[in-house]
Amino acid sequence: MAHQAHAYHMVDPSPWPLTGAIAALLMTSGLAIWFHFHSTTLMTLGLILLLLTMYQWWRDIIREGTFQGHHTPPVQKGLRYGMILFITSEVFFFLGFFWAFYHSSLAPTPELGGCWPPTGITPLDPFEVPLLNTAVLLASGVTVTWAHHSIMEGERKQAIQSLALTILLGLYFTALQAMEYYEAPFTIADGVYGSTFFVATGFHGLHVIIGSTFLAVCLLRQIQYHFTSEHHFGFEAAAWYWHFVDVVWLFLYVSIYWWGS
Amino acid sequence: MFRHLRTLQQVSRRTLSSSARAQLENKVPHKQKLFQEDNGMPVHLKGGTTDALLYRATMALTVFALQSLLVTHIREFS
Repeated sequence: MAHQAHAYHMVDPSPWPLTGAIAALLMTSGLAIWFHFHSTTLMTLGLILLLLTMYQWWRDIIREGTFQGHHTPPVQKGLRYGMILFITSEVFFFLGFFWAFYHSSLAPTPELGGCWPPTGITPLDPFEVPLLNTAVLLASGVTVTWAHHSIMEGERKQAIQSLALTILLGLYFTALQAMEYYEAPFTIADGVYGSTFFVATGFHGLHVIIGSTFLAVCLLRQIQYHFTSEHHFGFEAAAWYWHFVDVVWLFLYVSIYWWGS
Repeated sequence: MFRHLRTLQQVSRRTLSSSARAQLENKVPHKQKLFQEDNGMPVHLKGGTTDALLYRATMALTVFALQSLLVTHIREFS
């Protein structure tokens, strides 16, 4: 058997980039076909293929790192760079929506009544559920840090408990936000206020769900002894993502909920 | 009567905790051996039969959906 004379990871050929690309094609063209021909079949097939691709691709990465030992320090450094660059791209994604919000709210047009919030819009009270949501996410930032320290100190039970608590707080945020969406006195169709509010908070909510899912996978892996006190990058990546989600919420709360009311 | 309840509590605790312990046993060394076996299999198929089934199902779906898009719907666009 040939052994490599370097510390890098030359991956096995994999079908998942192809299936992922085709899933993206099916989802986008499926979206257009839904709009014009009223059929959701193709889009749904694309979504199923995307889920299959994600499951198998990430399963393979866990195999390569935890079971085959390919994630040496230089490889881990690359993974760290990758996660940081990805989160940076997400920051820019949200920056666009904040730009849209400030563009419309700093100079409200006569059509809106020349004021912000626009005439006829009853904004949500920032000191009710939105403030609770802020407390929930801040608390989850504390619990995820507790989980990290527990993993580093080899405290298995505490790591499982604090990670589970973090996920529960994330789910609590999602439930509260869903209730707020249902009860809100304005909709996405209510002018630029509705658009900026629901698109910005909506994408944030989606990221909370993604982050909670990532943390849940980490919980399963922690239970199955995948993480060591020295090597647990999957968890660190999930924690970084979670802190990013928390920070985006803080900006949303201050800008849209508080200043924007 | 309370002695019976106490015994039931002890028995269920013992049974549950031993079965729970068996489920939470560290399987990583076993997985490491499986995935480091020198059999030339790529990582996406190295886990066994389930891998192959899932792979085939994914590729079948890919081919079917792609042909559905290109053959069925492209006709509508032209």
